[in-house]
Amino acid sequence: MDANPTPRQRPFKQVDVFSGQAYFGNPLAVVLDGAGLSEAQMLRFAHWTNLSETTFLLPPTPEGRAGGADYRVRIFTPGGEMRFAGHPTLGSCHAWLEAGGQPKATQRVVQECGVGLVAIQRNGTKLSFAAPPLKRTAPGAMQLAQVAAALGLKSQQIISAQMLDNGTAWLGLLLDDPHTVLQLKPNQLELKNLGFKVGVAAFYPPADEPPALIGRSNREARAFGTGSTAVAAFEPSPNLEVRAFAVPIGIIEDPVTGSLNASLAQWLIADGHAPDAYLAAQGTCLERAGRVFITTDAQGQVWTGGESVTCIDGSVLL
Amino acid sequence: MPTSQNPPRRLQQVDVFAGVAYRGNPLAVVLDGDGLSQAQMQRFANWTHLSETTFLLPPTEAGRQAGADYRVRIFDPLSELRFAGHPTLGSCHAWLRAGGQPQMPGIVVQECEVGLVKIRQADTLLLFAAPPLQRSTPDAAVLAQVAEALQLEAGHVVAAQTLDNGLPWLGLLLDSAETVLRIEPDHATLKHIGLAVGVAGPHRASEAPDAPQLEVRAFAAVVDVPEDPVTGSLNASLAQWLIADGHMPTRYIAAQGTRMERAGRVSVERDATGQVWVGGASLTCIDGTVLL
Repeated sequence: MDANPTPRQRPFKQVDVFSGQAYFGNPLAVVLDGAGLSEAQMLRFAHWTNLSETTFLLPPTPEGRAGGADYRVRIFTPGGEMRFAGHPTLGSCHAWLEAGGQPKATQRVVQECGVGLVAIQRNGTKLSFAAPPLKRTAPGAMQLAQVAAALGLKSQQIISAQMLDNGTAWLGLLLDDPHTVLQLKPNQLELKNLGFKVGVAAFYPPADEPPALIGRSNREARAFGTGSTAVAAFEPSPNLEVRAFAVPIGIIEDPVTGSLNASLAQWLIADGHAPDAYLAAQGTCLERAGRVFITTDAQGQVWTGGESVTCIDGSVLL
Repeated sequence: MPTSQNPPRRLQQVDVFAGVAYRGNPLAVVLDGDGLSQAQMQRFANWTHLSETTFLLPPTEAGRQAGADYRVRIFDPLSELRFAGHPTLGSCHAWLRAGGQPQMPGIVVQECEVGLVKIRQADTLLLFAAPPLQRSTPDAAVLAQVAEALQLEAGHVVAAQTLDNGLPWLGLLLDSAETVLRIEPDHATLKHIGLAVGVAGPHRASEAPDAPQLEVRAFAAVVDVPEDPVTGSLNASLAQWLIADGHMPTRYIAAQGTRMERAGRVSVERDATGQVWVGGASLTCIDGTVLL
């Protein structure tokens, strides 16, 4: 790929998503004016930021505009383009609104991306996306046994399991206790050999304590010293504890994962494991405090949302 | 953690050792790090997800008296580092771009945890003076474990040294650049062994004036960086070792990051006093403010 012949300063933001508290969520790099950049240039920049995702905002296509789109986004991981992803959707919408974007409807923003149009609801400072339709199936007994072994789980600790796919595929496990979730020490090599991403979750009993002081045994947690006091201050207490292991794509543990939380919600609500609305925590063992707000509307559509904070604001030479 | 009543702190994200823009090693530089706690610095350095993040500060009193122009604290995602090369060049570049004026024309003096480090301006390049190197022969059993994790055969390893100029590396000189580029490391095993490993192998001679003579790769699963794109400290200690032992000439260009689709270029030279200088080009890519 050749260097951009005429690089220029483009507005840029790096946003922390799924947390109201800066640096406790999942970061996203947003180039607010992606016009004129080639796919190769976008990919090279996304590779360079080294974040789980980098997005580029563009005017909607004519079809998108006719369908009501307010803006268009292209979403890249360091390895390639994605048709849809949750945390990039919320972070891009946050950056677009903060930069003065005016949606056609007051309470709703329409994003055009690889899967088509995605509706984003505005609720105070929170944004929520409409989860794409979920395909799910029961995993094979052999697969399940291998995953349990890689995670060090006994069969009675697994309440339920499903293969989940709403655009990105996860094996979802509902476990007996959030402490089980927080104390998992996965065998990375075995998870990598399995070849699929694994999401685990468990519900807190109604009056349980917040999870701030659990799961600090890993190396990353020790490196932070005083970080957890800020976690403990976060209200309200979550109902569900989630962890995402994406070893096959090179991510040992993802801090906060929109698509996984969306598909977990679609599954757990439909099967009666979860109420129509709940608050999930993710990233606790990484010393993050991701908070994902799940709601269900009158039509049965599941919405996945959270707060975003702009941490870096400036320009990028591209 | 953010203190909104303060003026926003300036930030630059710099591409260091870049042969081509966005193909070097990125570095986040907070230009006004004064008043941030170590925990705040560490949390931000974990969040940027870059191999290093730095915070510029005024020199300490002792540093100022010894001639320091600025002080820097260097963090990887998990811990603070006493010294590192690409953060030194990127921090110096950002400091100069933000209007920093060195006391001595052409030479910037950086204060960091290992003490004072000199940085020379030469055309478009900045070169740092490699800190003194301590090196020793590695334990044969450890060497065998590392060679196995890298799937190297006995004939591939020409020489090996334990290298430490503030950041310890196990350095391996291999028979050729091709062998270096072929390695598919077992990162889990390297992490278990607990050492950062740097490998280098010579390129065949080329007529092109800017062709690299050495191919380098850096494996640091031990600090959760499976492979680092371009590594100043490693190139510095490799240069000190390989020039001293006659494996490389006193001036050469190393390539790194090739397998990661980067085009890192590191310029190395040993001056008449025996001091090794390590440098490269830097480009400020992101320029703005940060909420801290």
